[in-house]
Amino acid sequence: MARTWRGTELRLLLPIVVLVPLGVALVNIVAANKADPGPLGIALVYVVLVIGAHVALVARGHRGDQLLLPLAATIGGVGLVMLYRLPQGLAGMNPFGLQVGMAQTQLAWFALSLTAMVVIAVFFRDDGILRHYKYTWAVVGAALLAITFVFGEEHNGARLWLAIGPVTFQPAEAIKIVLVVFVAGYLAEKRALLAGAYRRIGFLKIPPLPYLLPMLAIFAIVMGIVVISRDLGTALLFFGIFLTMLFVATGRRSYVLIGLVLFVAGSFVSYQLFGHVRVRVDNWLNPFADPTGTGYQTVQALYAFGRGGLFGEGLGQGLPLISGHLPIPAIETDFIFTAIAEELGLVGAFAMLALFAALVFRGLRIAILAHDDFSSLLAVGLTTSLGLQTLIIVAGNAKLIPLTGITFPFVSYGGSSLLASFVAIGLLLSVSHRSAEALGDPP
Amino acid sequence: MSSEEALRILILVLQLAFVGLLYLLLLLFGRSLLRDLRSAERTQEAARQGIGRLTVLESPEDEPPVGRAIALGPINSIGRNVNSTIFVEDDFASATHAMLTFRGRSWFIEDQGSTNGTYVNGHRIDRPVALSYGDELTIGKVRMRLER
Repeated sequence: MARTWRGTELRLLLPIVVLVPLGVALVNIVAANKADPGPLGIALVYVVLVIGAHVALVARGHRGDQLLLPLAATIGGVGLVMLYRLPQGLAGMNPFGLQVGMAQTQLAWFALSLTAMVVIAVFFRDDGILRHYKYTWAVVGAALLAITFVFGEEHNGARLWLAIGPVTFQPAEAIKIVLVVFVAGYLAEKRALLAGAYRRIGFLKIPPLPYLLPMLAIFAIVMGIVVISRDLGTALLFFGIFLTMLFVATGRRSYVLIGLVLFVAGSFVSYQLFGHVRVRVDNWLNPFADPTGTGYQTVQALYAFGRGGLFGEGLGQGLPLISGHLPIPAIETDFIFTAIAEELGLVGAFAMLALFAALVFRGLRIAILAHDDFSSLLAVGLTTSLGLQTLIIVAGNAKLIPLTGITFPFVSYGGSSLLASFVAIGLLLSVSHRSAEALGDPP
Repeated sequence: MSSEEALRILILVLQLAFVGLLYLLLLLFGRSLLRDLRSAERTQEAARQGIGRLTVLESPEDEPPVGRAIALGPINSIGRNVNSTIFVEDDFASATHAMLTFRGRSWFIEDQGSTNGTYVNGHRIDRPVALSYGDELTIGKVRMRLER
């Protein structure tokens, strides 16, 4: 077979080689207030990692999509610059008494995530492991969820962390991938068997039970997450992913309708019953009702958007400290988009969203070109998870919808989120590799 | 020009370069997307001429040869009879072994009273079965996968 050099990928990666070091140098110059680029180590390691991933794919003759890696690397690169610019004490680890800053810790996660991406892209050439053991995966996901419910640690009122020894991680990120794999396997298996088996009651076509049952099961799980973990963002994300996949698999609008009815009913009941839901909604409707208490985060984020304006305060020159602290809590995770919008302005924020739009577009194209239903649905689910997650957190930051704590894929500080996002990219790469092989067209 | 002013200008230039580079990347991504969209249209057109194909995964007698993708019409007979739409050279296949048909929006496979049976994903079928793209058919010792 002809060798693929992945020329498009390399060409698109070259600007990143300049972009990330430039960003880090800029942050150093502004911080030191003199024309000295300062240490660029972090940027150089990042560039080496990304190019290394590219080389590994070329070496293994990978024929998958050539835009995914550059897109993820651009988004991740801007994110790394942003994390480097924030005060390094916000997060980070100190293994063996070594003081490691936030950006350096994130860089280590990048190394792990990119490796995972390459390994999955290269070795998952046969989807059997995912497809045939879908119920095993479902059990794994359910077990993870149950463990989190029981043993999870609470941070900021949401129980979504698991600690194994010194390492803590967010199981929701792993469950997200497992959910997509299971639903794709389930729908691919049942889809043809049930084509057209609908009963008509009045003007509504009632779908057959094997479709309705998992829908109700997922809805029950999602409500469990809302009530027990209090993790509204993840609940919304899971339900959205599932509904999208169901709609894509069947093409029936009635599912969307039923799903929306369930969603509205669930939201209403949650609002009435649970204080933590009510606080979020009230803050969304009027954060200025309690600007120094519950509405503080949202109010400060709105000020940050306002300071940023069209062109931003300039990288390294925004984000004023208020009595020695950054005013927005969780700016390195949930509110990193706000930090980007303040320093790079609408112009920079728009660029980030456009990059995500391109990523989603690419993912859906991979789904269309896939040769079997499982791969196709898998690609749809993974793409939806990345796209929807971005929408939920960005809209939450901008007070378009009630704020729900969830990470900004590739950008937010945090290993679990970064790893899950790159695993998704790896799976998308492997799906597109299989379609390219089956098509046998010249690269 | 004081050195402080020079520093301010340097920072401004670098900031512009950073955002400019980000937009250069966007432009490059946009161009690649468009170019691929055009070529994808062509591939799609080529693909739309068929409703599916069978890729041969395993074939002891090498007829049909392993790796071949057989384009399918709406009605396909599978068997050892040389007049079959899909001719299978295999001692364990019957003359008229199975029918593979496209009805409405789905593919169906029906066994034609073969001696050794027709298998879908490893399960023997006893009635017409709807198939998904990605399902595996076994006729005698020949294994094939239905693909889009």
